[in-house]
Amino acid sequence: MNAEEIQAIFFAECEESLEAAEQGLAACRDGTQDGDTVNAVFRAVHSIKGGAGAFGYIPLQGFTHTFETLLSDVRDGTVAITEPLIDLMLGALDTLSDHVTAARNGGEPPEDSALQAELTAAMAANVGSAPAPAAVAPAPAPVAEPEPVAAPKAESAGDDFDFDFDLDALLDDISGEIAPSDNDAAGAAPEKRWEVRVRPHAAAMRNGSEPLLMLREMGDLGGTCAVCDISSIPPLDSFDVGTGYLGWAFSFPASVTEDSVRDIFDFVGDDCSLAFGEAAEMPPVRHPEPAQPAPSVVAAAVAAPVEANAAALVQATPATSAPVETESAQARMAANGSAPPAPPAPGQSIRIELGKLDKLIDAVGELVIAQAMMAQRLAGQGLAVAEEMAMIEGLTRDIQESAMAIRAQPIGSVFSRVPRILRELASTTGKHVKLEVSGETTELDKTVIERLGEPLTHLIRNAVDHGIEQADERIAAGKPAEGTLTLSAEHRSGRILIRIGDDGKGIDRERVFAKAVEKGLVSPETVMSKEEIDLLIFAPGFSTAQQVSNISGRGVGMDVVRQNVKDLGGRITIDSEPGKGTTFTLTLPLTLAISDGMVVNVGDETLVVPLANVVESLRPEPNEVQGLGANRCMINVRGRFIPVIPLSQSVGAAGAATDPRDGVLIVVETEGAGRAALMVDAICDQRQVVIKSLDTHYRSVEGVAGATILGDGRVALIVDVDSLVSRSLASSSTTASLAEAA
Amino acid sequence: MSNTTRILTVDDSPSMRALLNHALSGHGFDVSQAEDGMAALDWLAMNEVDVVITDINMPRLDGFGLIERLREGSRHRDRPILVLTTESSDEKKARARAAGATGWIVKPFDPEKLVAAVRRVAH
Repeated sequence: MNAEEIQAIFFAECEESLEAAEQGLAACRDGTQDGDTVNAVFRAVHSIKGGAGAFGYIPLQGFTHTFETLLSDVRDGTVAITEPLIDLMLGALDTLSDHVTAARNGGEPPEDSALQAELTAAMAANVGSAPAPAAVAPAPAPVAEPEPVAAPKAESAGDDFDFDFDLDALLDDISGEIAPSDNDAAGAAPEKRWEVRVRPHAAAMRNGSEPLLMLREMGDLGGTCAVCDISSIPPLDSFDVGTGYLGWAFSFPASVTEDSVRDIFDFVGDDCSLAFGEAAEMPPVRHPEPAQPAPSVVAAAVAAPVEANAAALVQATPATSAPVETESAQARMAANGSAPPAPPAPGQSIRIELGKLDKLIDAVGELVIAQAMMAQRLAGQGLAVAEEMAMIEGLTRDIQESAMAIRAQPIGSVFSRVPRILRELASTTGKHVKLEVSGETTELDKTVIERLGEPLTHLIRNAVDHGIEQADERIAAGKPAEGTLTLSAEHRSGRILIRIGDDGKGIDRERVFAKAVEKGLVSPETVMSKEEIDLLIFAPGFSTAQQVSNISGRGVGMDVVRQNVKDLGGRITIDSEPGKGTTFTLTLPLTLAISDGMVVNVGDETLVVPLANVVESLRPEPNEVQGLGANRCMINVRGRFIPVIPLSQSVGAAGAATDPRDGVLIVVETEGAGRAALMVDAICDQRQVVIKSLDTHYRSVEGVAGATILGDGRVALIVDVDSLVSRSLASSSTTASLAEAA
Repeated sequence: MSNTTRILTVDDSPSMRALLNHALSGHGFDVSQAEDGMAALDWLAMNEVDVVITDINMPRLDGFGLIERLREGSRHRDRPILVLTTESSDEKKARARAAGATGWIVKPFDPEKLVAAVRRVAH
């Protein structure tokens, strides 16, 4: 893994963090202001800061630092959560998002000095009112060592024995190179040396610290052990293994700096007393605390109170409660360890390069085809019912579903960008809009999610710009001043429905129609239903905004939105009520790769009808079919008349049944045109089909969603039921555009 | 010291784990990863390790909580645990120390110093 890959991970993580922070702050605004929520926001910002520092994104790091400091105060309760503060933090989040973008693209970081000042001011506003968060005093003596740390006591005598053993070895090591004593050195040393006296206390041997390693490191630095002070060691019956009885004096050449020695003891801090300088200048006691040693190796007499206090310290650790705690902790750990059936591995998720995943999906697609081919061949040899074949089919389906599930992501990642869009819109239009989201955990394919962002953004801008009225207008209409935007997502029969609804003024159909006439999109005489007029806003070149605002009018018309959705294999419908609001409904496939289809014969053609559209199939009774005009007929399905569409006409297939009574009718549900019955000759099979895009291999054809490879190796077209039906119904004489593709 | 030093890195940030892994693996350490304190406890219940390096702010179980839990049990009571901290203030260090940490690594870390810190505590 190289630095660039790690950076890529970092930016992916930034996106997640921003999303988490956004959600956290939104929850705060909605009243959930508990510690976990605030901490989640803090963690998100903190995490970005950590990476920013590591990768050297200085402006990003600087901004996150300020933001984080404020969040830290909020978390600790020293800054109260207020409405303005949440707004400020949401604003900071937007800037942070811009910072991340700038860092990723190497662009100019956003100007943030004013915002930083605001953030700092928000801290200062409250900082005087509360005491500093309960911090551990900067210089806690060993006495202050808190209870959670159990002293290594006699039960672990084995460890201590090892320690002592090592120590002896060390003493043997250094005895060979023992330097001349202090006095000799002072007189005879050709080079000026300096000394340090070291006394590790009990705490310096806890928490995984190991004084031996520090002594070794001093040796590595060039220090030599002059004296080991053993004078404090008590008689065996009062010996406590957790107490530091030993002290050492090391001498260093002048080339070694004091700081480099201090560095060695950085981790243990006050748990190990150091005294620098010549023996004569050495202060006898560095701290007034009784537990501090007498660093003087000569004046060993002072050691007595040290022992007494050290012993008292060890006893002071809660001997009664400690074993209980330990036991429960072990029980908890045991419970944790045994609860999962398999050995738990660290990490609940892994990151996979998308390319690898796509390869897997491709392979699964091929597997589905191969399986279908094999089934067909076996059927040809009279082995269709082979049990193994059924198993393989089941497994293939499992694999396919799992592979799809890997690509699936909750739509929440798209929805979470919406609050920011609304905030920006609020500042440019002055319309404040409340957001209501549901179904954000609905999962769909990553590709669909990625390509959903743009049309969704445009629809939202459109809803706020054109749909929702200004506050005064709303109040006049008896609505709350604040508009509401509703976003929802749900699964429905293998597809996903996304609704973007507003409670605005609805589509002004008169104006839309007039505009369409003016633009030459329709003739003034055309009689259009309400739904048809609504759909005019998707016509290329249509824009109803009296002034092209910089919000909706960004050169992307609603026609592009519809095209985007269509490219995803989806449809978009409008449901608008004057004065009440407008709802756009996007119907999208869950995945773009594989779907269930009904394989049908129409004359000499084999076609696939997506199962998602199929409601039922039936052979009509003669009296159920009614003619309508010259070449159309309707079928009565349980009292409801639905149009019959001969598929053969649409695809120009020869030799197909023309009378509904000779064929099979497949009742399909469409988004725009209600139900219809497709007439085919026969239903051959129902199976999974791997969707191959027609665009990439041929070109886009209306009425065709794609192509697939059948079990016998032939290519079959997949019918785009929605567009086929609405087109057939719109023009009573169907054209044979499918024929050219077939 | 003849065996490879085994390190468990605990951080909820994948990029930070990747950075640690990158810096440490290059120096011959055997690096494992956990994404938070709970995952670390689970892993440590089943595996042996020489040094634990943990972030402080993590979901589910934070770094201090992890240290506390490890110090409570006997198996990892003397395990060197280094804390990743973004601040080098004495107060933070004292807090880490008081919580039972062996030492700390200030983020953003210099790979050399990281390795030196690990060597300083690796038994």
